Amino acid sequence: MALTIISLIKQVPLPSEMRMGEDGLMDRTKAKSIINIDCQYGLEAGLQLRKQHPDARLVVCSMGPKSFETSLRTAISMGYDEAYLLSDRKLGGSDTYATGLAISKMLNHLGFTKDSKDPFIILAGRQTSDGDTAHVPSQVAEKIGIPQATFVESLKADGSGNVIAKRIIEGGYQILKLPIPCVISLTPTGIPPRKPSLSGAIKARTLEITTFGIDNIGLGTEKIGINGSPTIVVKVVNIVSERPPVTMSEGHNEASLVDSFIVNFKKGGNVLEKKDKAAKKEIERPHFPEKDFRNGARGIITWAEVTNGKISRPSIELLTPARNLAAQLGNDTKVMTLIIGKNVQHLAQTLIEHGSDEVILVENDKLEEYLVLPFSSIFAQVIKERKPEIALFAATTSGRELAPRIGMKTNSGVTADCTGLEIGEYIDKKEKVIYTPILESRRPTYGESKLATILGFVCPQISTARAGTFEVPKRVEGRQGIVSRFNPVLNDEDFVVEILKTVRGEGGLQNLFDADIVISGGRGTTSDSLGLIKALAEALKSQGINAEWSCSRPVVDEGVSEYARQIGQTGKTIRPKVYIAVGVSGAIQHIAGMKESETIIAIDHNPKAHIFHYADFGIVGEYQDLLPELIERVKTGFKFGIEARKNQ
Amino acid sequence: MSYIDIISSDVLIIGGGPSGLAASIRLADILKQRGQNKRILLIEKGRSIGSHILSGAVIKPSVFKELLPEVDFSEIPFNAKVTNDKTILLTEKRAIALPFHLPYMSNRGNYTASLGQICRYLALKAEEKGVEIYTGFAVDEILYKDGKVIGAKTKDTGLDHHGHQLENFQAGTRIEAKITIFAEGTRGSLTKMLIKKFNLDKDRNEQVYSLGCKELWTVPQGNIEAGQIFHTMGYPLDNDEFGGGFIYGLKDNKVAIGLVVGLDFKDPTFDVHDAFQIWKTTSFVSRILKGGKLVEYGAKTLPEGGYYAIPKLFVDNAIIIGDSAGLVAMPALKGIHLAIRSGMLAAQTAANALSHNDTSEKSLEQYQNLLNNSSIHKEMYAVRNFRQGFAKGLIAGGLHFGTQLITGGAGFFGRLRSDADYKTTLKLSELKKKPFKERFKGKLEFDKVLTFDKATDVYYSGVYHDEQQVVHLQINDMEKFNSINIEQYGAPEQFFCSSEVYELHTSKTGQKELRIHAENCMHCKTCDIKSPGEAITWVVPNGGNGPDFQNM
Repeated sequence: MALTIISLIKQVPLPSEMRMGEDGLMDRTKAKSIINIDCQYGLEAGLQLRKQHPDARLVVCSMGPKSFETSLRTAISMGYDEAYLLSDRKLGGSDTYATGLAISKMLNHLGFTKDSKDPFIILAGRQTSDGDTAHVPSQVAEKIGIPQATFVESLKADGSGNVIAKRIIEGGYQILKLPIPCVISLTPTGIPPRKPSLSGAIKARTLEITTFGIDNIGLGTEKIGINGSPTIVVKVVNIVSERPPVTMSEGHNEASLVDSFIVNFKKGGNVLEKKDKAAKKEIERPHFPEKDFRNGARGIITWAEVTNGKISRPSIELLTPARNLAAQLGNDTKVMTLIIGKNVQHLAQTLIEHGSDEVILVENDKLEEYLVLPFSSIFAQVIKERKPEIALFAATTSGRELAPRIGMKTNSGVTADCTGLEIGEYIDKKEKVIYTPILESRRPTYGESKLATILGFVCPQISTARAGTFEVPKRVEGRQGIVSRFNPVLNDEDFVVEILKTVRGEGGLQNLFDADIVISGGRGTTSDSLGLIKALAEALKSQGINAEWSCSRPVVDEGVSEYARQIGQTGKTIRPKVYIAVGVSGAIQHIAGMKESETIIAIDHNPKAHIFHYADFGIVGEYQDLLPELIERVKTGFKFGIEARKNQ
Repeated sequence: MSYIDIISSDVLIIGGGPSGLAASIRLADILKQRGQNKRILLIEKGRSIGSHILSGAVIKPSVFKELLPEVDFSEIPFNAKVTNDKTILLTEKRAIALPFHLPYMSNRGNYTASLGQICRYLALKAEEKGVEIYTGFAVDEILYKDGKVIGAKTKDTGLDHHGHQLENFQAGTRIEAKITIFAEGTRGSLTKMLIKKFNLDKDRNEQVYSLGCKELWTVPQGNIEAGQIFHTMGYPLDNDEFGGGFIYGLKDNKVAIGLVVGLDFKDPTFDVHDAFQIWKTTSFVSRILKGGKLVEYGAKTLPEGGYYAIPKLFVDNAIIIGDSAGLVAMPALKGIHLAIRSGMLAAQTAANALSHNDTSEKSLEQYQNLLNNSSIHKEMYAVRNFRQGFAKGLIAGGLHFGTQLITGGAGFFGRLRSDADYKTTLKLSELKKKPFKERFKGKLEFDKVLTFDKATDVYYSGVYHDEQQVVHLQINDMEKFNSINIEQYGAPEQFFCSSEVYELHTSKTGQKELRIHAENCMHCKTCDIKSPGEAITWVVPNGGNGPDFQNM
């Protein structure tokens, strides 16, 4: 039987839609809808697979309102054969758990189950631009009960029932071999989506799209929609920019542009006019009875990710919110850390000294490298035994696929990529009860423009925390804690995915976190392989300044830089004193990694580049002209206001 | 796996502007009347219908009643009926309202409108009638068989800058049609090929164009009334520069403003966009904009060679309509009603041809006969020498236009010739008057409140182009360009371009180099028209690329 390739897509508002509204603000209501960018890469991956399997049947599925048909038709016009839409009002307000559940139910209904005789591959985008969670692919894989690989950049079939996938990991990539059927989620760094063809559009015009309601697929209402979802969004507030408007340099050639920039820089640029905040209204706390929904679950568990034999920095950062939450919960709430690997016992003390009360060890020679199937199984077994109320993961590429897969096993929702974690309470006016204590997970959403607060009502309450957001907690040498062992039950099915190769770049490039000035090259600077970017960094270094160079994702994709230098959501989050973005268009994912720098300078030839919205100083021009000029100035003493290091 | 898909249709209409949409509507109506079931495909390169449509616009409405007899007129989304129509003579400091209208300039009974909105409405009507409309597809090749047009092909996508196939290469679709109607608008890139191949402009005047830059503003209540319109003459244009400004009051405190300038200007440093900004600083215009905000910017050219510049409009299996045919009536620069009418006449011709199963040139000649007996001919013939008269300058042109009025359009000389716009630009060394920047010294600092630099204005057009594609602005001969266009003319492209596509970069060592920022391109085609020596060819970029006009 021929292979079936199923692409899961979501329709989202166009993220780069930068039309100004009449009030001068960005107008999102007029934003057009598109197929989520990552999902488009998933669609293209399916079309590429068809080059290997010309007889493959290409199916596209989505869940959402009737208007999503537009995107399904676009997929058809790109070359897909069939389209299915799950559309039901009762699904409104579903969180990622409920979405994953509903989609897997639809796929089951279409005949795609763990035991299907006919081979199939499910493709999806890594994450959506309006949700940014990256949960659904993991949840669908867990619910159907098949292997998965997320954050995959490219894949091919090996001709004997397996998929070979290149998965992005922190600091590098892995080549995985997965048996079919499986779920693969694609990063938007592989082969860009093709444009629709006219013949495809003509086919799409009349093609019948099969639409299901929940009754058609045998899905009940208990676990879906706003009432059935384990998590809810309780509050969304605008993120007010802390950065004043950009000061653009003026001039007619590189010399005058750079002159103008230096004058502006020395003057200090624009100042943000802060509006007085309206006095906060004290909301009276109603006299409802308090409800402890935790059902006896106690304690916080974190996952310590091991890479290159060391605990990864984001996993240690995680102990900061963990300790903070434990303190807020009181009653000697314990922070436990699960560490899985080969010979990892010696790492336990490090975790304790950074704040863990108990380190749970799972050691097994087969677990030297992270694999989502055994790791999620082990984690779920530990949760079953220890019954923690909160489980925290660093939002690395591993943490972000592990957490939702575990959440599906424990029926918990997951909140992705949080930048704030606090204990609070939830006043349920309908039921007239106050849920307390409850984990308030805050995360930026809608392209970093809003901050949403999300609550989960099933323990453990699971969240992933954005790397670089929390400080590494101070190490207390000699701090005491418990080290225990856990013996999980694992079977062959947990090891069906094989790691063929793991490639990691030179260490973690710690200096990027410490440098005073970071110069970052974007897609627009690859023509000289970042030669000028590196030259500017070198020039600053030779002036005694702690400078480093980095890049945006496309540069890594083109193979010009190693992954360890990538700044952004899937790379590093840094906060140097001065960040110089050159030829960086300013994709939201990149902004996430640098927007908290003290001073941001943007250089790009495109005056409309998004990056200028986030910069303090902007220069419009070709980097080939501007950087040599800037390097000259550095050589003659301009140091961006940074003191040279004394010990040099 | 790069096979070529083939689609066949009875009629293929290239372009979803007023002429193409009217043709599709009329054709669907006639075929339905005759009980014939034929396929009508309409392909538009803009992301959606209307996203590449820009016009003033004040529209003569009567033709809409003929196009859509079954529709309640009030349903058509015109903006406001013209209530007050004045012509203003501007000098740098003063504005004098003319006590009369120039002949052919009266707008009594006309409506202001966003032509984009009108087109979106027409597209809905067309689809209701069974026309298949596909937007976001660029057509870049005319298909021939035995030397006759047999359709067209959509552009291959998934190519890198050098034209090499990428992994996501998608071959274009061949559309084979019994009749192909070219409705690409001003300076159509395929129409240009068709005219060249069949020598359709033989013995005709060379087509000449104007460039119009337009902004849509929202202004405080009371600045201007809906339906109040002004046309301005004079400042900032010199006596030897043809053109003028427009200010159209729209509903909801919106106002459309623009400056239209004939592309036969001589100063190689003349910048229509910047002239438009300077025009806004006159007290007459700035008063209307005071306290307002820019909403949208756009630019487009329009053919104004008139009657004698209309090429032959039909060959075997193909017809040219609308702006692509050069159907614009001077001096009011009105072409919408003519575009619609030409579309209707082309539809009638095509329907007859299909019925007789004869789409030969001889059969399609009916289109020319219908045009000759229509109001299009009447309107354009009466002013057949208008624009050419002005090539000698405003005063001479005015005098000559006076004699044309008396002689019924002939003037003293019968037929006046016109030179293509790319020939009229002077070399820097030949320019006698002050170059543009000196002429307007002190007025070229844009405050981003009332006046905007090009880059900022371009931002307000919603323009977008795929990064991975062959640059769609092609320098035909780089060596010649460097030695002639840059050295002798000072790269006029950097000035006349409406949207900051061309930049002349001078390095520290004095090396001059043209840089092309194709991603800014507004698809106005000025470079294709005005570059000295016809140095640049505008080819259509990927479908869905270009500006995204909302209410232009």
